[in-house]
Amino acid sequence: MSEFFSMSGYGIYLWPAFALGIGVVVLNLVMALNSLSNARKDARRRLEMNSPEETA
Amino acid sequence: MKTNPLEVARLVAARDLRLAFRKPSQLLQPLMFFMIVATLFPLTLTPEMSRLRDAAPGVLWVGALLSSLLALEFLFRDDAQDGTLEQFALSGQSLTWMLFAKTCVHWLLTGLPLALSAPIAAMTLGVPGSAMWSVVASLALGGFALSLIGAISAGLTLGARRGGVLLSLLTLPLAVPILVYGANATQLAIAGEAIGPPMYLLGAIAVLGVTLAPLAAAAAVRIGLE
Amino acid sequence: MATWTWFHRFGSPPYMYGFARRWAPWFGGVAAFAMLIALYGGLVLAPEDYQQKDAFRMVYVHAPSAWLSLMVYTTMAVAAAVGLIWRMKVAHAVAAACAPVGAWFTVAALGTGMLWGKPMWGAYWVWDPRLTSELILLFLYFGYMGLRAGIEDTAKADKASAVLAIVGVVNVPIIKYSVEWWNSLHQVASVMKLGKPTMNWDMRWPLLLMLLAFTLYFAAVLLIRLRAELLRRERNASWVREVVT
Repeated sequence: MSEFFSMSGYGIYLWPAFALGIGVVVLNLVMALNSLSNARKDARRRLEMNSPEETA
Repeated sequence: MKTNPLEVARLVAARDLRLAFRKPSQLLQPLMFFMIVATLFPLTLTPEMSRLRDAAPGVLWVGALLSSLLALEFLFRDDAQDGTLEQFALSGQSLTWMLFAKTCVHWLLTGLPLALSAPIAAMTLGVPGSAMWSVVASLALGGFALSLIGAISAGLTLGARRGGVLLSLLTLPLAVPILVYGANATQLAIAGEAIGPPMYLLGAIAVLGVTLAPLAAAAAVRIGLE
Repeated sequence: MATWTWFHRFGSPPYMYGFARRWAPWFGGVAAFAMLIALYGGLVLAPEDYQQKDAFRMVYVHAPSAWLSLMVYTTMAVAAAVGLIWRMKVAHAVAAACAPVGAWFTVAALGTGMLWGKPMWGAYWVWDPRLTSELILLFLYFGYMGLRAGIEDTAKADKASAVLAIVGVVNVPIIKYSVEWWNSLHQVASVMKLGKPTMNWDMRWPLLLMLLAFTLYFAAVLLIRLRAELLRRERNASWVREVVT
């Protein structure tokens, strides 16, 4: 197991590299979902402002 | 009525030259800027000539780039403000040729003088006399390519807020090859070697710029004027 | 005339919104699954390299990130060109949605590259053509996003940034071929070459799977961002009402 973590001595470079790569993957997914959720909220808010009865 | 594009270009060039000589101080500004930047490095880095000589290619070219970015703001600004640019775009004549003419005049008034006065700055940086011609030649050619590419970003930032900073940001990535080969040519010249290879590459970039940049700049200006 | 209907459908914001909502989860799900398998294959199953030992495993994050940085820029430039030539709003929205993702993966490519370079070459950074042009790519992404942000009118921003994206696309082949055209420290392609590849299959399949996974992942993220972009641009359209309430 410790062999796996040490990665023939290169672990100190390898694991941060994977953390960066996977981190960017997760981050972009989260940011995209966030952006969508904000856009939806914003659209809903504007619709409510312009025509409150119809969004009941 | 479509006039011969070369004739149109000649007219635009003549106009630009005439206007520029009415305000000669505007022409001197980029030049002064370059001189100041070039002198800042010996003052802040080291007075040791041998080390300055090593840094000279970088200093000269970064200085030339910064000065050129400063000068690019003048390329379209006055004409955009007083509506002349719009008239050019609406005239039915070739906007591409007109912008090419403007870019050439711009280089004649900023890039070329910079290249010709570079030996003074180069001397303070320890560049040997034998390298001076190469310094002038590479800066002249590189400066021409820079003006061409800068015309694109100048056109793109016409309608933008804080256009000056954005212009620099946009020009930079496209200017990097010019910087790399130009500085390489200067470095080879200082070492006394032949500067053929990087000069050919600079030439190739300039040719590519001449054929494509005015087209892109014209497209950018039309968008910016809408 | 079937191609025109297809083309028109993709140009319609409400259609694309529905398309994106339907397909994003699929692309995302398959991508996640593929990534897990590829990671297992690359980190556990693949044998260690003769020269680089276990360090070569960084290829499983570095190469896909670099691939994405280039592919996303190309997608952005193509979408921008389509938007400019055929005046399709949706195409411009696609281009806008691509930019932040591409920039992040350029950062990932550069970062993972630096972490790989230190043990292999002894330096975090060298000014060789491939690394330098990848850095220029990052500047191009920043310039693109900066230009968009600096122009108030959306239509104008779309067109201006489209010109920039197209002008900058010349950098993509430079990055790709830099290792062949110039003397570079960076390794020449050993994965997708036609003919005999130099990487053995046990190491190769996780990489290919990871490249596929990243591509599908990008499709998912792009579709999500596209939905947000369309909502923002089409604020006053009637289809928006049906979709958010």
